[in-house]
This record gives sequence, C-alpha cells and structure tokens, in this order.
Amino acid sequence: MSCEDELVVRVDNLSFSYGAKRNLCPKTLKSININAHKGQLIGIMGPNGCGKTTFMRCINKVLKPQEGAVYIDGKDIDKLKMMEIAKICANIPADVPDDFHLSVEEFVALGRYPYITGIWWEGEKDERLVREAMAAYQVTHLRDRKLGELSSGEKARVLLAKGAVQQPKILLADEPSAHLDLKFKLQVMQALKDLSRQGVTVITASHDINLVTKYCDLVIVISAGQILSYGPPAEIINEEIIRQVYDVEVTIIREGGEVYVIPLRPVDPERSKDEGPRPCEKGIIAD
Amino acid sequence: MEDNKVNRAKYKLALILGLGSVSLVLLFILSVSTGVMDISFQDAMESTWNIILRGADENDKYELVIYNLRMPRALSVIAVGVGLSVAGCVMQALIRNPLVDPYITGVSSGAALGATMATLAGISLFGSSDFSLPIMAFVGASLAFFVTMALAEAAGGRPISYVLGGTIIGIALSSGTTLLMYFNSDQLHGVLFWLFGSFAYMSWTSALIVLSVVMALTGVMLLYAKEFNVVLLGDEQAKQLGMNVRRFKTMMFLLVSALASVSVAFTGVIGFVGLIVPHLARMIVGGDHRLLLPASMMLGANVLLVADIVCKTAVEPSELPIGAIISVIGAPFFGYLMIKLGKEYVM
Repeated sequence: MSCEDELVVRVDNLSFSYGAKRNLCPKTLKSININAHKGQLIGIMGPNGCGKTTFMRCINKVLKPQEGAVYIDGKDIDKLKMMEIAKICANIPADVPDDFHLSVEEFVALGRYPYITGIWWEGEKDERLVREAMAAYQVTHLRDRKLGELSSGEKARVLLAKGAVQQPKILLADEPSAHLDLKFKLQVMQALKDLSRQGVTVITASHDINLVTKYCDLVIVISAGQILSYGPPAEIINEEIIRQVYDVEVTIIREGGEVYVIPLRPVDPERSKDEGPRPCEKGIIAD
Repeated sequence: MEDNKVNRAKYKLALILGLGSVSLVLLFILSVSTGVMDISFQDAMESTWNIILRGADENDKYELVIYNLRMPRALSVIAVGVGLSVAGCVMQALIRNPLVDPYITGVSSGAALGATMATLAGISLFGSSDFSLPIMAFVGASLAFFVTMALAEAAGGRPISYVLGGTIIGIALSSGTTLLMYFNSDQLHGVLFWLFGSFAYMSWTSALIVLSVVMALTGVMLLYAKEFNVVLLGDEQAKQLGMNVRRFKTMMFLLVSALASVSVAFTGVIGFVGLIVPHLARMIVGGDHRLLLPASMMLGANVLLVADIVCKTAVEPSELPIGAIISVIGAPFFGYLMIKLGKEYVM
C-alpha cells in the first residue's frame, strides 16, 4: 500500500485546548497518537467541531499543543522554524484572495516563498516548478487570469498547483472539495491520491464519507477531540461507528473491497440522548 | 525564454519606472512654470537646469521664483503623492481590505485634530512655532492610527474591523476638531487652510523633511515587496509559508503609520489619493507588490502633481484647495469602487 515504510508524521500523545491559559475551555484534542507513513493518503472524519481542523493546525505548528509532541520527517516541530516546516509541510487553503488582482501564475508562485533566496525575485528553479505545476493541474492557459475571475473548479486546481510547487513531504488539505460539484470533487480527490502515489503523505479532512472511503488508504475517525478509530476504510467504517459519530442511521454497502455509505435519517434524539459518542480511553495507536 | 515570469515582470518594472520618471520630469517642469508669474515651459526648463547645475542666480527673477517657491512645492507634491499612495497600498495589503486608506484608518482625522490643537489652542512644541503644527499633526495622526489598530485587533482583527474602527475614531476626532473650531471661531482661517490641504507655503526645509522621510520609508517597504504578496493570503496561510506574520505586520504598521502621518503633517488633509492610486495601479500592473508598489509610487506622484497644477491654474490668480479638489473627484470614484467591490464584502 505505502511506497516505503518511512515514518513521516508521528503525533505523540497530543493534547490541545484553545483557552488553556485561563483554563476555560475543555480540551479540543485529547491524547492523540498517529503515525503516518510516506505516500499514504489519510482521511479525517468527524462531526463539525470535533477537532479535525485543530488537529491539522497542530501538525504544522500553526497551533502549539499544550501536551505531547509532533514529529515531521523525523524532526520535532517544536525545534523547527516556520520556514523549515514550510519546506516539509504544505497546506491547501480553503479559498484564494480574490480582491487583489493577483494572477494565477503569481498566486501559484507564492508556494515557492519558503525557497526564495534573493530579496525579490524567484530563481530559475522556482519558475520551472511553477510552470510544471501549472501544466500538471491544467491551469497553464489561465496563467494571466485574475484569481477573482476563476470558477470554483479552476480555483481548486490552482490551489492544488500552489500546494505542489511547495514540494512538500506532507500535504494538509482541510475540506479541499467542499464547494465543488461531483466531478470536481472526484478530480480533487484523485489529484490528492496521485500526489500520495508520488510519495507525499496527504492528510485531508472531509465531511464526504464516500469520498474518504473511496480514495483514502487510511481513515481517522475523530469525535469530541479523541480518536475513535484509525485504519483502512473497509475495516473501520460500519453502521455502528457512523451512528456513534454523526448521529445518523446509515446503510453500508460493501462491494469489491469498497465501502459505500447511504445515509437514511438522523438518529431519534429521544432514544439516543444518553448514548453520545464514546471515545476510547487512551486513544488508539495505529500504523 | 520569453515564457519566463520574472523576466516579464522585470520588463514591466523597467517600463513603469521609465515612463513614470519621464512623465514626472515633464510634469515637474510644467509645475514650476505655472503660477502667478508667467513663465514659459521652455524658460522653466532652462532655469531648472541652471539651478541644478550651479544653484539659483539671485539676479534672475525666474530662477528666484522657481527656486524659492515652486521647486520646494513641486518636490513636496511628489513626496506626498508617493507617501499617500504607498501608505494606502501597504495598508490595503496588511489589513487585507482593498477599501482602506490613510483617510479611513483615522490618520487624517488624527492629523487634523493635532493641527487644530496646534493652531487654535496654541500648543507649540520644542519652542518652534514653524514646526509645531506639523509635529502636532504627526503625533495626532500616529495616535489615531494606533487607537484604530488597537480597536480593530480587539474586535477580532477581521478586514472589516479596521474599517469600522477607523470610521468610529474618525468621527470622534472630527467632532473634537469641530468643537475646538467652534470655541475659537475667530482664528479659523489658519486651520481651515491646512484642513483644505495645500502645498502653497512649503519651504525647502519642510519639503526636504517630507521627501527624505517618505523616500526612506518607501525604500524599506519596497525591500519587503514579496512579503506583502504572502500577507494577502491571510495570517494563517502566511504563517504556514514560513513568514513571521506577527513581527512583519507590527513592523510595517509602525512604518506605514509614520509614512501616512508625515505625508499629511505639513500639507493637510488630502483624501482619496491613498485609496484610488493603488487601485488604478492594480488595474494596470496587477496585484504583485513587486510591480504594484513602484507603480503606486509613480502614479501617486504624477496624479498629485497634475492635481496641484490644476489647482494653481484653474482660477488664476487665486488657488483652489487641493485636498478639496481631489475629494470632489475622488468621491464618485470611491462610490464606483464600492459598487464594484462591495458585492464581495458583507458590510
């Protein structure tokens, strides 16, 4: 499944809380342990507010966890500068800044920012990578267009190109296909899959269970800040866990090693009042 | 090779600086040729050249007028044009809102209150009455800017917070100015002159102060042109690209506050330049700050020089107040921008 057995992300007993200083908020993330290897495409699932985005922000040091450690490419992120992290870990933002007349090419080139050695201009290599990425994601013909003039599908491809020119070992994509129609959703997930097959460890959060199960090698299910389950989608996705996490009754169809989730109805609130999510005691360590 | 983005950008940059400088030189000579005393373009060119080569000849009427009155005036117009435009451009990037400028972020109203206090309340600093007005205006502008920034940050620091914060501070300070004027209505003339904005009485000393401060601060900002592009992505994205966003923004807010304040301190309230010029520049060269900042500089200097020439010549022998003229032209343009861009903002 994975290209090599190289460990790229190691999350060690990570806990995070937004109001830690004042001790106001409950922990957003509790004792998270994750190992991710080179070339894996990992999907994160969980209801709104369960800590998916917080978890991804902890991986590239945008947030600093109060407990635990994160190692990327074998190094403790606490000891890395942001610029060094940017060369290992890229992320796909939710949207582009479209009020400032930036062209597609200028925007994609921003992915090279951590590598620019001069004061002003990108070097030859930066330019070559930008050209290649624009070609790979089929946006070369949009090169001089302004970001504000692009369609959602075009924006998604431009965002992927910007992530790719950063030449990361880890790519974080939070809801990369949220506003897209079905065709573009599939294209974006396929693009992430292709990147992972080129050796990038891709971690993506999504509400679309079927996309996650279809494309991802591994799925992390987070509920109330804890990992409920971590493993290949065919093994861990079942009616019980979906009901537990999303409060929704589903039917699961298994065909040719793939899992398809068909939502039926929300769980009757009267019946499930006391049940709620039941996270594991200490989180799961999984490889 | 013609597919090279950097080479294309460098070519554009050369074009911007080349065309901008040529037109600036022509407008400069046109500016020193216009005024109460009639001097032909050709004579103005000759006199300017002579002054540059060997200093002003005290027996030459033209050279005296040009050297003593018109050159410092034209130079300060250029400096203020550059200062306001670059300040507007930088504020728009830092705040990530294309509708902000030194006017909207409270700088102008702060400067106005400072100037009014200096003139009407007779507050003078360092014992010098010559510079007490610009110094008070500078202090007022910087304070207003910081209060606006602090208010906006406290309110969550979203792009819209800065506009709302600046509006509130602006209204409060303008009321302060109005009250001061109300209680000192006998000495209004001096302060009204400043409030309208005018370059008429710029001395060489004032011109050189504005020019050197503006050039130094603009130079520093130009060094960070590519960082301003990254800032457009938002704090979190900029951080993820390896930038120390907090430090960069703090430093730039300090510098831009000084730049905007010094631009209004000597010559009074000139609105809309800082808003409109960066927009025009963006329409021409796009959003990359490595082109946008130089284009804003050039365009700002040229536009304000044209406006000043219009003010000097429209109703000879008297003069129109440049701040008011710019606002008359600027307001409809701002309205147009609001309609065009406003749809993307939930106000």
